[in-house]
Amino acid sequence: MEELIRRENYQKLYVQLCEIMKRKIENKEWDVGFQIPTEEELCKIYGVSRATVRTAISELVREGYLTRQQGKGTFVKKQMSDELIMSTSFRELMLEQGISFSTEVLAHTTMMPMDNLITLLDCPADKHVIYIKRTTIVEGRPIMVQEIYIPFHICPPLLEEDIVNNSLFGLFKKHKVDITRIRNYFGITYLSPEEAQVFSLAEGSSTLLLNQLFFSGETPVMYTRSIKRSDSFGFSIEFKKSSINERRYYVKR
Amino acid sequence: MQSDKKIKDVMIGIFEYPHIPYWFSIDQAIRIIKVSFISAKKYPEPLAILVFDEKYNLLGTLTLKDILRGLEPRFMRPTEKAQPYLEEEKELSVIWDTLFAKESRELAKKSVSEIMAPTKVFVEPDDPIAKAAYLMIHHDLVLLPVSEEKKKFVGLVRMTEVFDELSNAILKE
Repeated sequence: MEELIRRENYQKLYVQLCEIMKRKIENKEWDVGFQIPTEEELCKIYGVSRATVRTAISELVREGYLTRQQGKGTFVKKQMSDELIMSTSFRELMLEQGISFSTEVLAHTTMMPMDNLITLLDCPADKHVIYIKRTTIVEGRPIMVQEIYIPFHICPPLLEEDIVNNSLFGLFKKHKVDITRIRNYFGITYLSPEEAQVFSLAEGSSTLLLNQLFFSGETPVMYTRSIKRSDSFGFSIEFKKSSINERRYYVKR
Repeated sequence: MQSDKKIKDVMIGIFEYPHIPYWFSIDQAIRIIKVSFISAKKYPEPLAILVFDEKYNLLGTLTLKDILRGLEPRFMRPTEKAQPYLEEEKELSVIWDTLFAKESRELAKKSVSEIMAPTKVFVEPDDPIAKAAYLMIHHDLVLLPVSEEKKKFVGLVRMTEVFDELSNAILKE
């Protein structure tokens, strides 16, 4: 049966529509290369406005689920293979080796999950989330801003820990939360007024975006959104197959 | 007639209530109240949200009344010197109704720090319960934060528990 938008739900309509379409892609109802219904058709099916449909599609394009082809339509994109698992921490990922940097913690507090955090972190809307915001400073200049969301029940002591001198990975390890998988999304984003202020750049300037969702087993334990000045430094990425996938790989052969 | 119990015996955990940072907007706070209380059919007494700063210090509390007050159109707020007559208030409430959609929606974009009740008084875990009652009466509070050595925020006391404890002492006599 077609899943419908629930207006009594307090989530924004576009977020709901996004989740419905994401599920269709993930369970292969909409397989790779499938042309999704047009905006008008989606409006009719889900009984929402064109603006809602457009926002939902843009969000899925941004997250790498869909791709737009001018004059043709919108298609389901091939997903990044699950068999490649990132083995590097964000610092190794975002900074070239040998660069000395410092970290400034702008916020280390709690909040309630809003909008897409509820679905991303698979966290009940009335459960608390630890919120961390920090900047990475190289040569006196902020080059990266990172916002981090961790469901409080995953690791309560994290709220009290010293996150200036310890890495989050180290702290997760200390409290027996084992990160086994990281889902990454790279893209470009445009600075909000507050972000622009941190970087002393104009509002709307383009920056590199990295969204990461960290899993322990099948449970999402942390979501991070990092934005990085696009005029400084490059990325270095290393992929490594995990032992489980390696085994699976050999069996297949 | 003294209760042997201390604040720490009646205080409740801080995670019983939703938390938000001060930069959240009023409409975000409203959505949190909807999911945490109203649609979850959970009505703790009092209904409140705790407002924190970046360093996880408690800044204030936000009740339904604070939110409604924050949405009240500006011109209707009496200045401190000239209090309007009660009769006028009835008519003003009708004006609010017509203005609600327009101005209150705009006001809902303000941050909660502008409308919360700032936290000024605390009790310590080893304080007697009567102290909480005193502070609640004199500062017009229904929820009182408990802090350890004036620094770490460790819990909350509600008027319900304070009342319960103090009234027990009376009934025993």
